[in-house]
Amino acid sequence: MARVKLSELTAKKLLHNYLEIPYAGTDSPNSLDPSKKYVVKVDEGIKKRMKQGLVAVNVSVDEISPFVQQLHNKGYTNIIIEEFVPHENSQEKYLAIERVREGFKIFYSDTGGIEIEESGNIHEEIVHAENETEETAKIEQVLGVPQLFISQIMGVMNTYHFSFLEINPLVVQDQNVYILDLAVEVDTAGSFFVDNAWGPQDYRYGHIKDKTEEENNIEDLVSKSQASFKFVPLNMNGSIFLLLSGGGASIVIADEVANLGKGDTLANYGEYSGNPNEEETYIYTKNLLSYMQKSTSEKKVLIIAGGVANFTDVKKTFLGVIRAIEEISDSMKQSEVKVYVRRGGPNQVEGLALMKEFLEKKGLYGQVSGPDIVLTEIVREAIKHVE
Amino acid sequence: MVNIQELRTMDYKIVVIGSHHAIIQSIIDFDYLTGKLQPSISAIIAGGRKFERYFWGNEEVMIPVFPSLGKLPADLQQTVTLFANVSSGRRVLAYTQEVLQLPSILGGVVFAEDVPEEHALSLYRKAESLHKFILGPASVGLLIPTSLKLGAIGGVDYRQLIDSHLFTEGNIAVFSASGGMTNEIIRIVALQNKRLSFALAFGGDRFPILQPKDAFRIAQQDPSTEGIVYFGELGGTDEYALADMIKSGEVTKPVVAYIAGAISDYFEEPPQFGHAKAMAKNKDESAKIKAQTLREAGAQVAESFDEFVKLIASLPEKSLTEKEYTTQIKELSQRHHALIATSVSADKNGVATLLGENLLTFAQNSSFAAIVSSMFLGKKIKSTELESCIDFILRLLVDHGPYVSGAVNTIVTARAGRDLPSALASGLLTIGPRFGGAINQAASNWLTGVTKEMRSVDFVEDFAKKRTYIAGIGHKKYRVDMPDPRVTEILAFVDNLEKKRFTTFARSTEQLTVHKKGNLILNVDGAIACVLLDILSEKEDYSDDQLQELVDIEFFNTLFVLSRSVGFIAHYLDQKRLDEGLFRLPDTLVADVRRK
Repeated sequence: MARVKLSELTAKKLLHNYLEIPYAGTDSPNSLDPSKKYVVKVDEGIKKRMKQGLVAVNVSVDEISPFVQQLHNKGYTNIIIEEFVPHENSQEKYLAIERVREGFKIFYSDTGGIEIEESGNIHEEIVHAENETEETAKIEQVLGVPQLFISQIMGVMNTYHFSFLEINPLVVQDQNVYILDLAVEVDTAGSFFVDNAWGPQDYRYGHIKDKTEEENNIEDLVSKSQASFKFVPLNMNGSIFLLLSGGGASIVIADEVANLGKGDTLANYGEYSGNPNEEETYIYTKNLLSYMQKSTSEKKVLIIAGGVANFTDVKKTFLGVIRAIEEISDSMKQSEVKVYVRRGGPNQVEGLALMKEFLEKKGLYGQVSGPDIVLTEIVREAIKHVE
Repeated sequence: MVNIQELRTMDYKIVVIGSHHAIIQSIIDFDYLTGKLQPSISAIIAGGRKFERYFWGNEEVMIPVFPSLGKLPADLQQTVTLFANVSSGRRVLAYTQEVLQLPSILGGVVFAEDVPEEHALSLYRKAESLHKFILGPASVGLLIPTSLKLGAIGGVDYRQLIDSHLFTEGNIAVFSASGGMTNEIIRIVALQNKRLSFALAFGGDRFPILQPKDAFRIAQQDPSTEGIVYFGELGGTDEYALADMIKSGEVTKPVVAYIAGAISDYFEEPPQFGHAKAMAKNKDESAKIKAQTLREAGAQVAESFDEFVKLIASLPEKSLTEKEYTTQIKELSQRHHALIATSVSADKNGVATLLGENLLTFAQNSSFAAIVSSMFLGKKIKSTELESCIDFILRLLVDHGPYVSGAVNTIVTARAGRDLPSALASGLLTIGPRFGGAINQAASNWLTGVTKEMRSVDFVEDFAKKRTYIAGIGHKKYRVDMPDPRVTEILAFVDNLEKKRFTTFARSTEQLTVHKKGNLILNVDGAIACVLLDILSEKEDYSDDQLQELVDIEFFNTLFVLSRSVGFIAHYLDQKRLDEGLFRLPDTLVADVRRK
């Protein structure tokens, strides 16, 4: 995977702990102090929460539960509750740091708040390492926070494999610094190196969505496999179904569907790569087919395509695909689904022959081709079937 | 920075870090099909075995495996020029940092996905400061037709290599972040009747260590390249740097490109595609805007993949002369794994060989000791010192009376009416830790003491703590004041050596033990062990690691087993001649120790 948003609560706990600043944020409305005022926010990685009514500010303990209930009813399960920090608008600053090739790119402004992106008042500096430099000195001057604070944040980013961090607003009151809203993206490849400080349970996707059963099953498969699988439903009742292989070739093939003006009938984007074994391609295909069967579209076509693989074994992966199709081949034949295949790579001759024979026997044959046809030609052939 | 022309002409050596059988075999196949004399892979760094078997043509070769880069033999440490790191993403940082320290290394490829950004960037800084190149992370590698295949690039099946015409030098450079698309485009280039000057994959991560702009610079400098094919994806901003290079005239060779990712518009939220970098967070990173920028700079950017293929076809032509590979294909399709591998001897076409030499000539020109020691060591010995020492040991160990366990068993078996092999086997089966097997243990002791640079006093103390005796020390009859004359003779073999590390250590250990008890002297086993170690080290150039291997495979016990077999056979024949009848212990010689 790649950069993924991290739960604000998890990120805040890690950051405060590193900075040695006490922090009492929680996700539970129980055991709060009735004499204090609180802020309640949705913790789903969603931008512009305030404008969407997903934040309650300056509320007392007995107001919290009803608001939390209200959020739950809207489908938000992750929330964050913290003590309210009274402050002036003028004390709101903005700080964001992104990992870039040269080191860190720091965005900062002495006027933070929800309108920051429109304000056009953001400065940028590139800092090469987590030391104090001329650049951090400039930032200190504008934000009124010590340089050490900036370099410590870069330290926490390295320690916990943060790729991006945004504090907005950052409230500076004399000697005290308050991190009010925090957005962090982690580098998922770093998860092994952070000693369980964060993990998949802390990932947030910027939206809440009822996932299809198939998406959940494939996510489960992803978490257990060395290989990579993507499955994005685009149109539940679409007619073109994609089972693609290889990160780059898959985009090319999907692009071709759009180029040919069929983007709106595209049912899904689906891709595997990294030499999955037979069992894994079986499970993946089974879920894709289950999603396909639910579509109410009258004409359906399945495109199994990919480039000329470097090391993914065509025969082995096809064996899993064939096993999954076989289970429902009668019903596929009945609804006149045709399968179009274009693939190359190790053991392509055996794999393609196997696939061709199988599809012909089951009455599902559209076309089976190797690298002798251009990658995207199969899309044109397949589309003819649903026109 | 990579100098393609230099790589085309140099004789490079590759170390593969981690083991990936298909990739390694495909590199060796490439070497074979290009007509090299031997595989370009000199070593594999992996745990477990000492060799891995690969096909060279349709015969098998052994590629040496070492547990770490530090264990590479000194000559390889000095001469390895390229690396292919196929270890997992978790180990990439440490291994790559280490391999960059090798003195002759030019660069290499990192194959793993899931390398943290922070690790990739620290490798990037390291590579920059050391002026080495690193492709990846998540790169399938670098390919230069007729010269170099570093990674999975071009495919792992030899039929793919032949189909893509990777054995003819061409004029088209192919670049892509995507490994699969690199290979796809390599195939398209071949189908358009063009050939590659070189191809490389950056890897789909956010921070490829070798960047697209570096690749363009390399292609511009490469005399063979006359056209550049670039496959890009949505996400990242590399194409802006490329556009600047074309606009400023830094790159003048024709560029054709395709930027994939128009489909992204159909998603509700910017999707994360297969590669870590493939996500367009803003307009600048979208496929459409990046394609437009490149087009405005002067590159030919295709609207569709079909058009991309046509643009590739329009790149400059080059006249080609190609070889046929039908015989090689036939040959490679008939590969069979050998059931056993051997380096000792062969019998081919009626000619018997020992260690590669004609058996008859070898036998005529060598003493028995020279043949024995050469065969046991697996290579022809060099020194007369080793030959004469082993000759003496073989003579010395031949027998030590009928009282010892092995001789008794041989005699008992012979008297039971069994045949020669049975009686001999029964004697040999007695050899072990308490009888006859102490030389190897003694060698292990001296080797450990010397290589760990232990003081004899600590060495002796370690054994005292464990309450075990020291193999190689101690005798029943002889004492410090009544030395064993055999030991004196054996030790004389190191008189003319320079260092005598092991003998010196054994003697200084003896000096301490005899103070504890007068009979704790260096015995025959201990003396043979230290003398052989010294001669192998100084006269046969064995490294300490190689000596350790001899201990591990029980080399130091071989001389006793071989020599004493003579004694056992003699006892068998003797018993048969005397015809004593079945052996049985008289009752008086058996104690009844049942508990009351």
